[in-house]
Amino acid sequence: MFAAIRPAGQDFPVLLHIVGATIVFGALLASVGSLALARGQVRMFRIGYFSLLFVALPGWILMRLSGEWIYRKQGWNDVPDQLQDPTWLRIGFGVADWGGLLFLVALIVGGVAVLRMRSGKSGAGLLKVTMSIAVVLAVGYVGAVWAMTGKPNYESAAAAPASTTATGQATAVTVTASEFTFTLSRTSVPQGEVEFTVVNHGKLAHNFWINGQQTPLISPGKTATLTTTLTPGSANYLCTVPGHAAAGMKGTLTVR
Amino acid sequence: MSFQDWIFSFHLLFAATLVGGLVMSWIVVVALYSADGAEETLGFGRVGLISNVAIVLGLPGTIALGIWLAILRPQFHPWDGWIIGAIVLWVVATVAVVRSFLEYRKPVAKARELRSAGRVGASEELAALNRSARGLLFRALGSVAIVLIVIDMVYKPGA
Repeated sequence: MFAAIRPAGQDFPVLLHIVGATIVFGALLASVGSLALARGQVRMFRIGYFSLLFVALPGWILMRLSGEWIYRKQGWNDVPDQLQDPTWLRIGFGVADWGGLLFLVALIVGGVAVLRMRSGKSGAGLLKVTMSIAVVLAVGYVGAVWAMTGKPNYESAAAAPASTTATGQATAVTVTASEFTFTLSRTSVPQGEVEFTVVNHGKLAHNFWINGQQTPLISPGKTATLTTTLTPGSANYLCTVPGHAAAGMKGTLTVR
Repeated sequence: MSFQDWIFSFHLLFAATLVGGLVMSWIVVVALYSADGAEETLGFGRVGLISNVAIVLGLPGTIALGIWLAILRPQFHPWDGWIIGAIVLWVVATVAVVRSFLEYRKPVAKARELRSAGRVGASEELAALNRSARGLLFRALGSVAIVLIVIDMVYKPGA
């Protein structure tokens, strides 16, 4: 999808995020495999647990911290309150944070099991609990990869769809989008209905969000129209494609 | 989600399977390094089989869908330098990983032989096969090539 296109400067945190996520996924698989196939071998039980502790845990920390870095770099923490985080982002954070909690439970239960084994008692039952949690986490991460890459409901989740028809008394504003700026034909408008004609002169896809409404994703060379009613004050506008607002595609329109 | 979004999503799911399988295989390699008994070698061999399946699924799935995307998307072309580079690295990774599979089959075969002969205790010969320098070298080469592909994909123009 075109929305995957990033402004420069975000590649390194994205790389760290991918590396962290795949380390977690691989270590979860190794843990599940070792615990499921241990057949009573204490060393394999330990490897199953230590895969979680020494490989998956650092991977999770790397994934979570770099995810937060990307979130801030892309300016999601800086967008207006009306603009909610899109579904894919909520799925990603949900799996990471709730998964992190489950992960902690798996580590504690598994740790108790390993300590019991050291003192000659059986810990296999507790390690089965750890394994079951690791299976749930691995499935959750597959879902998160799908959500973060496919970005389901990307356009509809971010804001209410734009009205595209004006009633006839609307103030017309032409918005030119390019990398990474918006140029508006007027810097102030009278209150009431305003019709924005957004022309994408850039090489990447963009959209235009204002007053809780947004255009669809506009391909290079294409145009979209958005009509909304503005009240006196100032109206923030931005492009909701990840990273574009942080790179400069945002501004404020004065409403008289 | 559009058709291209689904292809992109599956492309990255295959890539996650591949790299996840590789991480898993390194855990097995480290675990095998100190294994000298037939039972534990066979146990880790079974876990290694899961990682091998993940790698074998991930390698062709990632490249096939990646090339398909390069054809479908107007901003990319299969003859772009970074795509050619990724394909070359993919070939290096595939050859190296397959060679490492073959090297790590040797201790499993030896462990089966020892178990059939009733020798389940520590074996120096088995320990030496588990610490195969060739296996380690090929696994490292394959891993470096795959990490370079990931870097190439993240830093490619238009990513």
